[in-house]
Amino acid sequence: MLTFAFRKLLTLVGTMIGIAALTFLITNVAPGDPARLVAGPNATEDMVATIRTEYGLDKSLPEQFIVYMGDLMRGDLGQSIVTTRPVMEEVLRYAPATLELVFVAMALGIVVGVPLGMLSAVYKDGPLDHVTRIFSISGVALPAFWFGIILQLMFAVDLGWLPVSGRLPLVTRPPETVTGLLLVDSLISGRFQTFWTSLQHIILPAVVLSFPCLASILRVNRAEMIEVLQSDYIVAARAHGIASFRIVALYALKNAMLPTLAMIGLRFGWMLGSTVLVETVFDWPGIGLYAVSSALSSDFKPVIGVTLMIGFFFIVANTLVDLAYAWIDPRLRSA
Amino acid sequence: MTGPLLDIRDYRLDIGTFDGPVHVLKGINLTVNRGDTLGIVGESGSGKTVLVRSVLGIGPKNSRVVEGGITFDGQDITRLSEKDWTKIRGIRISMIFQDPMTYLNPLFTVGRQISDVIAAHEKAAGQGVSPKAARRARTEELLDQVGLPNPSMLFGQYPHQLSGGMRQRVLIAMALAGKPDLLIADEPTTALDVTVQAQVLDLINSLVEKLNLTVVMISHDIGAIATVAKRCAVMYRGEIVEQGLTADILSRPQHEYTRRLLAAVPDIDAAAAKIPAEPVAPEPAGPGALLEAIDLRKIYRSQSGAEVAAVKGISLSVRTGEIFGVVGESGSGKSTLARMLLRLIEPTSGDIIFDGRNISGLAGEPLRQMRRHMQFVFQNPHSALNGRHTIGDAIGEPLRIQTGMSRRDIEARAEALLDIVQLPKMFKYRYPHELSGGQKQRVCIARAIALNPRLLILDEPTSALDISVQAQVLDFLQQLRAELNLTYVFISHNLAVIRQICDRTIVMKRGEIVEQGETERLFLSPQQDYTRTLIESGRKTSRAANLADHAG
Repeated sequence: MLTFAFRKLLTLVGTMIGIAALTFLITNVAPGDPARLVAGPNATEDMVATIRTEYGLDKSLPEQFIVYMGDLMRGDLGQSIVTTRPVMEEVLRYAPATLELVFVAMALGIVVGVPLGMLSAVYKDGPLDHVTRIFSISGVALPAFWFGIILQLMFAVDLGWLPVSGRLPLVTRPPETVTGLLLVDSLISGRFQTFWTSLQHIILPAVVLSFPCLASILRVNRAEMIEVLQSDYIVAARAHGIASFRIVALYALKNAMLPTLAMIGLRFGWMLGSTVLVETVFDWPGIGLYAVSSALSSDFKPVIGVTLMIGFFFIVANTLVDLAYAWIDPRLRSA
Repeated sequence: MTGPLLDIRDYRLDIGTFDGPVHVLKGINLTVNRGDTLGIVGESGSGKTVLVRSVLGIGPKNSRVVEGGITFDGQDITRLSEKDWTKIRGIRISMIFQDPMTYLNPLFTVGRQISDVIAAHEKAAGQGVSPKAARRARTEELLDQVGLPNPSMLFGQYPHQLSGGMRQRVLIAMALAGKPDLLIADEPTTALDVTVQAQVLDLINSLVEKLNLTVVMISHDIGAIATVAKRCAVMYRGEIVEQGLTADILSRPQHEYTRRLLAAVPDIDAAAAKIPAEPVAPEPAGPGALLEAIDLRKIYRSQSGAEVAAVKGISLSVRTGEIFGVVGESGSGKSTLARMLLRLIEPTSGDIIFDGRNISGLAGEPLRQMRRHMQFVFQNPHSALNGRHTIGDAIGEPLRIQTGMSRRDIEARAEALLDIVQLPKMFKYRYPHELSGGQKQRVCIARAIALNPRLLILDEPTSALDISVQAQVLDFLQQLRAELNLTYVFISHNLAVIRQICDRTIVMKRGEIVEQGETERLFLSPQQDYTRTLIESGRKTSRAANLADHAG
């Protein structure tokens, strides 16, 4: 198991280097002269040339790549043109908000999706199965921004149950930063009122973000459960007198969780990408919103920084999924 | 308590399908007394599995009892509620299954699975679940009872770490956990190797004696039934056509179907009455070896770097026109060898010489051309045909790939091929699911001979088929060889089948040839211990089934 974990860790590092190389390549084959973009439309040739040397853009591509990778190793993602602050610092400031949103949305997807998938499989073709089918098709089909706006209109504007947008009201002082996750920090500092408010704020964006993910977890889990429930060892467990609930919730679910986990890993990455839309709709101060506003002002370093960050979280999530796989399935541990 | 333990009366069962109800069981009458051993023999589709699963209340979901009922120890169990079943299932009636590979949950340890069963029984009995340690002790006791070594180590192992025979013993231990009155054995030996089969049958026999078990065992293998069961019932198309003492049925079968079934069982002790091949025209070309393998090796490397040799340096030579047998148990490397001969698996080293030409270095087009002359027939015809292609498409496929024949010609050739394998021409419009197992295997053979190959490699071509169908396919293969002048490499784990049709045979064990020679010589005077053990184990069930011939 340890060698397995170690090997996965090595793969993680390798993939990270690959992503870094790829982002570098894409930014350099993209049309447009970055120095001219940085200098702005009214800059003279001299100014552009100065900037070119300053940013090292006059060096050859391999040289630039080595410098870029070296900077990355030191955790230097360059500077934002708009704010003139290190991108790393800004990304780290915005990342907790996004992670909090993604964690809550993912938890929602798993906690609702897995049991619903399980029940739809047990009562296949029953009323519940039909309802979840409609539910999951719309989950995948509805565009996030539209769905987000509809929810805002319904629950925030019309009913007034939940806030429209943001992480906390302007008047509320955020809790002392420990993890950066408001839900956790407010609990640590014992401010339950703040916890309650931030929970209210996160519900709508988390629901919007988790809906497609929930739908696909549900469908995968349902399909797997149907297959597993027909398998020989389930028949055997019944014949040996094991109670039905135990068979479904333990014996079958553990087997069905393997492909479901794979889906969870994939969806995690997809969710990180979708935060760009959801954060814009809900004005959520995360890295998605940061990337959008930077892109709109042609500020490229932050966009690359966010891309790398999302890639990093995605790989970490999938490594965790791989480890969970081995934890569940003894056959993989020896492989 | 003097009544029968299990009493099945006029039991009729329908299964609802899209096309309306199918009558699966048509008035079954069976009685089993305490201490009885009853065998139910029948082929696939005869309804024997549905019958015994009904006894345990785990029959197909959409089934409906039309008439009659099942009484167990005086209690009517025909329509029990799921709650009442928990007091019977696994405790008073338990079951062991066909394939120990798939009937154990791969994600739980052996110990966990057995102690869960114990816990379930304690709960059902209303005693409250005993502590973990007590259940562990009981589990290890059960593992010991079924003859498994080192129970305390086994407790923490996962199914994939055990051999097939060990897994079947674990399943038997699980079935014994509730000290059942009645043990149902559903084809307990079918998926096992011959030597392991014999051991498992011995185990069941010893348990019957030691624990005074009542056993109902179903199998398509009349030999296995004869080794265990004193009484026997023959099932055919949802009916019991004959029942009585096993010895009587074997020596004096009354029903026509039983007679046919018995005649189809190959006898390991009978010399083959082979259909003579075309007088093997001494081919002018070379020494008459069509296919040669020289020091063929296949080494697999696992991710952790450990090397496993599946085939360790095998040399063989197949003469033109002969049936060359390869026999061995699972894991002996026979399938790997067969696939390497066709270069479906790339050998690690060694040469393959077909018709005087070394094909081990071939690639691309020349390899494709070479494959026209050598074709493969797979073990399981049910999975060897694409369910979405018609039979005509399946047979025409090699012609489309390998020749420039026109559509019309291909169709004509497909019809001719169906004719050769003795199937109606109209079958070309059918889909695989509309055909029986034997018919499907004929289609696979038709596909294999479509390009007029010179060599057919048959990998266990009959082991997925019923015994009577097996007999037909074997006869047919021999005829076909005579008609088309074919050479076969015939792989099987069934020694009686090998003896029936192979001219020369190699015996394989763990990737090596243990013994080789003329098939008859091999059976009459085996030189190696392993060959002897193999033949002895095979003889055990074969002889029981062929009681009639030996007595008379």
